[in-house]
Amino acid sequence: MNNRTKDFLWKLKMLRQEPVLVLLIFILLAALSIFVIFPLVMIIRYSITTEDGTYTIQTIIDVIKNASYRLTFMNSVKLGVIAAGIATVIGYIFAFTITRTEVPCKGFLKTMATLPIISPPFVLSLSIIFLFGRKGLITNGILGITDFNVYGMHSLILVQSLSFFPIAYLTLSGILEAIDSSVEDAALNLGASRWKIFWTVTFPLSLPGIFSALLLVFIQSLQDFSNPAVIGGGYPTLGVEAYRVITGMYDLRTGAILSIMLLLPSLAAFLLQKYWVSGKGFVTVTGKPSQNRTKIDQKHIVIPLFTVCLMLCAVIILFYGTVIVGAFVKVWGIDYSFTFDHFRYVLSVGLKPLKNAILLALAATPIAGLTGMAIAFLTVRKKFIGKGYMSLSAMLTFALPGSVVGISYILAFNDKPFLLTGTAFILICVFVFRNLPVGIEGAKSALMQIDPSLEEASINMGANSFQTFFHVTLPLIKGAFFSGLVYSFVKSMTAVSAIIFIVSARWNVVTTRIFSLFEVSQYSDAAAYIVIMILVIMAAIYVLNFLVNLINSPQKTAKKTVKG
Amino acid sequence: MRNKFITTVAVALGVAFLMTGCTKKADQSAEGAAVEQSKELTMYCALPETEIPSYLEAFKKDTGITVNFVRLSAGEILSKIQVEKNNPQASIWYGGNCDSFIAAANKDLLEPYRSPELANIPENYQDPIGNWSPVYVGALAFAVDKDWFATKGLEYPHSWADLLKPEFEGQISMAHPGSSGTAYTILATMVQMLGEEEAMTYMGELNKNIRQYTKSGSAPPKNVGLGEAAIGLAFSHDCLKPAVQGYPVEVSFADDGTGYEIGAIALIKNGPEEEVESAKKFIDWVLSKKGQDVYSTNSSFRLPVNSNAVVPEGAINISDLPVIDYDFLWAGENRTRLIEKFTEVIAAKENLK
Repeated sequence: MNNRTKDFLWKLKMLRQEPVLVLLIFILLAALSIFVIFPLVMIIRYSITTEDGTYTIQTIIDVIKNASYRLTFMNSVKLGVIAAGIATVIGYIFAFTITRTEVPCKGFLKTMATLPIISPPFVLSLSIIFLFGRKGLITNGILGITDFNVYGMHSLILVQSLSFFPIAYLTLSGILEAIDSSVEDAALNLGASRWKIFWTVTFPLSLPGIFSALLLVFIQSLQDFSNPAVIGGGYPTLGVEAYRVITGMYDLRTGAILSIMLLLPSLAAFLLQKYWVSGKGFVTVTGKPSQNRTKIDQKHIVIPLFTVCLMLCAVIILFYGTVIVGAFVKVWGIDYSFTFDHFRYVLSVGLKPLKNAILLALAATPIAGLTGMAIAFLTVRKKFIGKGYMSLSAMLTFALPGSVVGISYILAFNDKPFLLTGTAFILICVFVFRNLPVGIEGAKSALMQIDPSLEEASINMGANSFQTFFHVTLPLIKGAFFSGLVYSFVKSMTAVSAIIFIVSARWNVVTTRIFSLFEVSQYSDAAAYIVIMILVIMAAIYVLNFLVNLINSPQKTAKKTVKG
Repeated sequence: MRNKFITTVAVALGVAFLMTGCTKKADQSAEGAAVEQSKELTMYCALPETEIPSYLEAFKKDTGITVNFVRLSAGEILSKIQVEKNNPQASIWYGGNCDSFIAAANKDLLEPYRSPELANIPENYQDPIGNWSPVYVGALAFAVDKDWFATKGLEYPHSWADLLKPEFEGQISMAHPGSSGTAYTILATMVQMLGEEEAMTYMGELNKNIRQYTKSGSAPPKNVGLGEAAIGLAFSHDCLKPAVQGYPVEVSFADDGTGYEIGAIALIKNGPEEEVESAKKFIDWVLSKKGQDVYSTNSSFRLPVNSNAVVPEGAINISDLPVIDYDFLWAGENRTRLIEKFTEVIAAKENLK
């Protein structure tokens, strides 16, 4: 018997002791196979067959040979790398300031750091045209520039960094919160400077989170459709190119292949992160009672960080303020007199799609949140067959451009054995499987901080894996759990390209309505929708925060005991 | 290796298990399907969402049939019905350039139907086989920024040659022919007017004055409204919309001849059986005077094809415009080739804007 087989038998034996866990793993693997791998296989198969069913790789060859596709591919990668870098830096500054220092108005900073993901992204693109376009408020109105070109890579970098930094913030604040501050305090007591502590303790400890954030933003940027479509200008990207080929050239096959090409850099980044970063995690949460977390309050550190955050907040407020003001003016850009007409219009005709969107998001959020935590827990903590398959497949749908996910879902679920088109179920599935990775990545980074002996202790004392997960692990990764929930709720509410192909007459949602309003220049009505959506999402975040805080944190209990 | 093999088998078994579970469900729903005609109709519609209710409400008043719709662009609808081929989720496709209907018919996705109302519609607008029916026409036009022209003291463009004037450098917005039916109509119009080689030279010259190639065909007039371009090339009904919204946009036409689009409607092949009769009723209604008169009340500015219908106020009747004898079938057949050539010409000049 060789080692592999032994190892395998050992895993089997271990799993036999916990049949429910085995069942869960089985269900997750099956669900990922059906809702991620199966559609992907269907669209790959579709792209390499001709109309009459014979297989051909001619389309792939044509795509690879085409110089403009290659250029577009490189454009996407370049943009993704830059946007990921900037967004992660901004996200880290926010996360560090909020979790590690004594600054005023933390609630405000937190709201600002999540705001950009809560509205459809093309809104930022529109704001940027209003602010920096030819008749832009800033370029023309204030600076008097008459011919500023707002279209192109510079705008894309700005808009993408701004729209995606919340993902980095969410991932990083989860992990920074999870780092036990006693390590930092110990260093401080030994006389190390704050700067030294940051570079030798805090920063290395947050590396797994940084890589997760980079990966997530990179993938988001690659598959982003609406921003490049609106303000990309002379900078063609692969996601937009795929859409153009599908809907403009009526060439679904080439479009599918272009989208599948997008998976390559995403996969490369994923593998890099997986093999390079694994082993870079350090355990800091050991279960031993720690002192109350001391936060940095030295003025020379807090003031610069606070200033940077405030400046970023100002930019965000400027962009969103433009949208909010737009909802209350007669005709955006022309007649700025105040009116409630747009809200009246939205509330009279648009309640049903809004209700649908909320219902679907409510259904998808807990499923996505818990599934994400379960997958992170299983892949970090348990040994089982199909672990690599699980963590990889959970990322795939996230990395594909939305329109292709939509098309692959029709190919997979419009026929027996899975006849799901036209139902709410298929939309919920898209939301769940498309929004999983943010929760998973956050939780994985946080889990790497936590000493497995905590969970082992729980198991040894007779708890099963589920009790351990809900009473020990989940409370410890609460931050990441919350981020995952918020992200899936928001993304389910605001999804555009992923669902455009699978919405049905019965299940139509609000974002498609907003898109149509843009088509007929009714920007202010669109803005009114967006304001209402922002209110709904803020309410949801508030409720989620309340619910997640109900999860009892063992750390807090431990601290209380120590104090008492 | 063995480990991986076992994984694969386990996963495959899981999938197979779940598949059997779902098959039963699907069978049940198939049994439940009624053969009787439904009082509801499902439609994919490429018209702006703000316009759609005006047609559906009027239709319901006349027939009592409720129409449920999904709004998508014409290209999206084509992709959707292509992948839904085995089990179409709608019975009607309403709106969008006939160009994409021709492509759909070539892929065998449409069900021919000849409405009796076609008798009132000029034959040159019709598809000889009846795969699709014409519902409106729109001529290519120039949306111009009134304020920009006033400040510069320039005249509105009145011909395609005018667009090449050096004072318009970086001022013109049009969609990319590869992503927009509107822009392809412009390209095909130029080829039909000038011949292929000369048309490509023209597009290359025009490229100097182009500020941005947009994705959607209705975007250029909006860019003009927002001041992002001084001239936008699009169909007249799209050019007139920002003006209604209050933007300083006016419309001019090429006096030396212009192309036009035919908006179409069609039955989707193998659509829900219980909807077929109602779907035919809907097509009849949309082509009738009643259905076409709605254009004059809903500020869509679409030009009716039924010769008895009222022409919307503010819109210019197509018979008053110097439209060329645009060959739709030819345009549909040469589409891929012309777009590739266009992309080459433009890309050679300077990368895609």
